[in-house]
Amino acid sequence: MIGAAFSVTLARAQGGDESAFARLFRDIQPALLRYLRVITPEAEDVAGETWLQVVTGLAGFHGGEEAFRAWLFTIARHRAIDAGRSRARRPTSQLDMEELTERYLSPDAADLALDTISAREVVALIAKLPRDQAEIIMLRVVAGLEPGDVGRIVGKSAGAVRVASHRALRRLAELAELAGVTR
Amino acid sequence: MNPSDALPNEMPGFPFPGRPGGEHDEPLLDMILGRRALPPDAPPEIHDLARMLAALSGEAEPGELAAEADVRAAFTRFGPMSPSGRSPVPAHVLHPARRPTRHRRPRRSGGSARRAARPRTRLATGLVAALGGLVIVAAYAGALPGPVQRLAHATVAAPAPPSGAQVTDKLHKGHAKGRRTHPAATPDPHPTQTHSAATPAAGSTPRPHYSPEVSPSQGNHRPATQGCGSDPWWHDLPRSPGPWYRGSLPGAQPDHCLPDTRPSKPPVGSNQY
Repeated sequence: MIGAAFSVTLARAQGGDESAFARLFRDIQPALLRYLRVITPEAEDVAGETWLQVVTGLAGFHGGEEAFRAWLFTIARHRAIDAGRSRARRPTSQLDMEELTERYLSPDAADLALDTISAREVVALIAKLPRDQAEIIMLRVVAGLEPGDVGRIVGKSAGAVRVASHRALRRLAELAELAGVTR
Repeated sequence: MNPSDALPNEMPGFPFPGRPGGEHDEPLLDMILGRRALPPDAPPEIHDLARMLAALSGEAEPGELAAEADVRAAFTRFGPMSPSGRSPVPAHVLHPARRPTRHRRPRRSGGSARRAARPRTRLATGLVAALGGLVIVAAYAGALPGPVQRLAHATVAAPAPPSGAQVTDKLHKGHAKGRRTHPAATPDPHPTQTHSAATPAAGSTPRPHYSPEVSPSQGNHRPATQGCGSDPWWHDLPRSPGPWYRGSLPGAQPDHCLPDTRPSKPPVGSNQY
């Protein structure tokens, strides 16, 4: 999170300052990629399309840091849905989400120690949650959005988001224990 | 259902009130989600969960910022102060490895226009085909205007447009065999002797297969000839099947079964059904 300097950074980026825009990118891109890795197998491509839309729409954005994140993650979610539809239309070999998860996300059990666990390995654990719970956890924890913003993105009420996130955390604790990450 | 009815692993994630780890952990879970510091006396599994999620929102890992150069280039080229302003950016700008044709999103307006144009194209094609079929049928029925009928005669071997002399000639030379004469033409029903001398069978009355008095609307009405039975299905077929047909019509009838040229009784009223 950029914090108090966000409004100045955004204004400079909207004025064409490339370094200010790069700061926004470096701040959000890791969270964006981790979120997209949970909801789509084409995370890098969808992230690129998301930033493309952010670049073209940056001049028209108004709001604070949380609103900017909510805007960006909403774009990302829409692009991921589009990518899913496009993938469904394309005749491809059977390389489904489960296989991709195994290939890119599944951590080596030996690496799963809490002290050294990486973000990618935690993403792999979260990807084992039900899809809606995993997405809500990523938007709450990684994107740092409030339940109301998450609800607007995923189409649920703030209360439903809160309940789902609690269930997801409990389930995640069980998965971590089963994987030997936690005690 | 109450907590004693379900084993701990039967309904994972379901918050049973009163069960350890049930609703009582919600404030702690909210603290984790809100990135607030946990109290020291929180359960160890809650601390472990918080540490795990802290790793999730940690610093960028290797490779996660690999697209920065491409994004900056896109910002320079298509950003707010770029010459191109807010023009659409090709999708492969940020990912050169991607095929533009494969990942380009179709424009919705163009796609919907193409979708809307498809039925119109089909409809136009169908109309043209139907119109062409009607023209061919009319050509073989001899119902086209003279010049068009001549053109049809020259191109698809439809009957020639009849004139008075032609029809008379055909009547006497027997060339009109199997062809319906144009209803507008009124051949001479009483050929002259000169003409009758030219008929193959001297003394017999030349008989075109369709009576000139029978109008096209009455063409299907033919009185049953004795010994020929009622009108069979082939009476509705044109006698000349067309240039693509090289055989004889099935069930060809003897000559006496064909309708004669005598003035037939008035057709059954066209209003009768």
